Amino acid sequence: MAEEKKQKKIILRSENLGKEFNGVWVLKDINFDLREGEIHSLVGENGAGKSTFIKILSGVYKASEGNLYVEDNPVNFESVHESEEVGIRTVHQEINLVPYFNAYENIFIGSEEVKKVFNLRILDDVKMKKKSKNAIKELGIKFDVGRSAQFLSTACQKVIEIAKVLVQNPKIIIFDEPTTALGEEERDNLLEIIKELKSKGYSIIYITHNLEEVMNISDRITVFRDGNKIDTVTKDDILKMEDIIPMMLGHKSYENFCRNCEPVDDVDRLEISKLYTKRLKNISFQVKKGEIVGIAGIVGAGKTEIAKALFGLDNILGGKIKINGVSYIPSPKEAIMRGIALVPEERKTEGIVPNFSVTKNTTLTYLNKWTQSGVINKEHELSVTKEYISKFDIKTTGPRQPIKYLSGGNQQKVIVSRWLLGDFDIGIFDEPTKGIDIKAKEDIYILLDELASKGKSIIFLSSYLPELINICNRILVINNGRIVDEFDPRTLNAKNEIMTAMMEGYKNAE
Amino acid sequence: MQNDTINKSRQRIEFVRRYGTVIGALMIFIIFSFASENFFTARNFMMLLRQLSMLTIVAMGFTFVMAAGGFDMSIGNLTGLINMVFTIVLLNTNSFLLATIAGITIGLIVGFVNGTLVAYIGLPDFIATFAVGSIVYGIKMLLTKGNPIFFREDAPAIAKAIGQGYLGPIPLPVIFMLIYVLLGIFVLSKTSFGRRIYAIGGNATASIFAGIDIKKYRRYTFLISGFSVALAAIILTSRLGSGQPLAGEDFLLDAIAVAFLSSTMFGEGEPNGAGTFVGAFIVGMLNNGLTMLNVPYYFQYITKGLVVILAVVLSAVFAKKLSE
Repeated sequence: MAEEKKQKKIILRSENLGKEFNGVWVLKDINFDLREGEIHSLVGENGAGKSTFIKILSGVYKASEGNLYVEDNPVNFESVHESEEVGIRTVHQEINLVPYFNAYENIFIGSEEVKKVFNLRILDDVKMKKKSKNAIKELGIKFDVGRSAQFLSTACQKVIEIAKVLVQNPKIIIFDEPTTALGEEERDNLLEIIKELKSKGYSIIYITHNLEEVMNISDRITVFRDGNKIDTVTKDDILKMEDIIPMMLGHKSYENFCRNCEPVDDVDRLEISKLYTKRLKNISFQVKKGEIVGIAGIVGAGKTEIAKALFGLDNILGGKIKINGVSYIPSPKEAIMRGIALVPEERKTEGIVPNFSVTKNTTLTYLNKWTQSGVINKEHELSVTKEYISKFDIKTTGPRQPIKYLSGGNQQKVIVSRWLLGDFDIGIFDEPTKGIDIKAKEDIYILLDELASKGKSIIFLSSYLPELINICNRILVINNGRIVDEFDPRTLNAKNEIMTAMMEGYKNAE
Repeated sequence: MQNDTINKSRQRIEFVRRYGTVIGALMIFIIFSFASENFFTARNFMMLLRQLSMLTIVAMGFTFVMAAGGFDMSIGNLTGLINMVFTIVLLNTNSFLLATIAGITIGLIVGFVNGTLVAYIGLPDFIATFAVGSIVYGIKMLLTKGNPIFFREDAPAIAKAIGQGYLGPIPLPVIFMLIYVLLGIFVLSKTSFGRRIYAIGGNATASIFAGIDIKKYRRYTFLISGFSVALAAIILTSRLGSGQPLAGEDFLLDAIAVAFLSSTMFGEGEPNGAGTFVGAFIVGMLNNGLTMLNVPYYFQYITKGLVVILAVVLSAVFAKKLSE
């Protein structure tokens, strides 16, 4: 016992750590510790608090309460820089390289090595090259550090990101979903690299959605749910990954809103067969009138790509789509004409025009409805907007307020109103409740239910399982660009089975 | 109580943000009126309006491009090319109509090329329109080997009247300008076309997701810019009675100044029709007033540059204050 303690000193520890935003506690009473030279995985659903926790560790957020210790010294990071000073570094999910810089220039970006020549500080390419080579060698990989990053594979780019961290001599490395966008073989290689780093004495916090990976590399696993730590278990405590799932989902009741599923009209309104795009493979499914079809998948599984393909924003490489039995070739214009609506995932970049008023945002898509020979009837659009403001209880100072001042949930309601004005037939909702408060979420659920009962066909894309289970007639699971399974949400064990399918690597592919 | 004070100060900031530039314009007007006895006269006022009429028309086209989030660097050189082509066609055919058609066609062709390069092929607007402007400049110089050419004695009367004539006391170019300004304000603020252009400038990605064909609309804005340049160039040619190798060179810098001034007015945060008119008035007034005060022309460039910087800084400061 004493022996083990000696071996595995605690390098980072949090005590009752919590974080609130505007009175909402998104993280509460987190007691977490990281031992020297271990891989400690953090798992949990979207919104469980993992990224908030990581952001506190890396100095992006300040904790609202509780204490943090690094090697038994209390720390309170005011900035990312301060966190880096004590040796905490993060390998982020996204790859952020300058495409036309080569590997070593990227690795030393912002911390360039310099030498003095005639009293001038100039870049020391030789030194940077050598150090980069060593860092990459340490990772057990070999490639030409002089090549532009843009010509390297995603896997090599990821290695550069890791090398960028290594040359700073960190003690603690946080990996935030590092295997997203990697193929299977590359993923296995990366996991080996991370294990190698562990054996060299780095302490590692590993965040992932993929439970197979968790089982593969973790020494210990901590589960977060709804901003709380549920438990920390050692790898030996659990036998298979299915054991973690109930901890992630808990026994919380999802009955806040449960749809009363009426039998649907037995006509296929939308038929997709063997659809291929760059990211999608062999996608086939149908949506009936009055049906809500859920598509579940983790971030990066290909949900958004389905939405984009149907709306004509991604090139279609193969397959057929029919609406009401008539062939449909997607383009945004055609989509709107054929009655497809799309509420996009990224509200800020794809949804709102920030400086536009609530009114202008509401009427943007179907502007022609309020336009006569090119001239907008402003009173009419104003009164329609007012109608939707009160119908959806949109919190705003008025229809003329710029939409950027509204909260996320209220912005989302405006975007949804925009499409409702057009009386669409097929509604694609891509993560419509992402980042919005509970009340607004419920309003969206009620609305979707209402739309379906009026005979509209809904495709509901989400990575948050409980909401899908509550309101969908059927749930398809997408994984790595393929639909791998289909579930009836009302079967007894659907929840756990769907979660398993979402997280389960690529077992069912092909 | 405290809230009231905050509200009042917010209202004051908002007022200055909306009308600050307009008030600035009035102040410049008053200063010039005191500084130069010839400035505040009916005659000079008409002259001033006539001088700025061409700039206003060019800037109105530029406003459309900027509202959609673009930029057009070719307008100065294009003015020169159309000035030359109009004169050459008039010399050879003695037909005002043919010369006008030729001028407008060239404006539209260049606008189309700009729009296609930027919107459909995806080149950065600065580079594409700058390169097109360079080609246009070369063609202009090629046409007369860099020499000026002049209208014939028997040129049709209308060819000179467009730029030099009067309707009552009002110069014809001023009337054209007023009509064009009203049309610009109307299209930008009242039509679905204008709304969609602003949407594209405000968030191009969101506009695609809202079903707007942003390529088509962006190309339209360059066509409008080319057409506006053609109109202004025809008026300019008519005023000059000749094709001048250096004609229209100042339009680029001046139109950029106008468009940035425009976006500081009426709280829009974007270039807008009325703002463009006032902006052109400011730039025209500086050109005119400083000349009257015998300020050497190179100081006018310095003054204009400073005015633009001041306007942009002020609007940024007010925007920030309001969002706090």
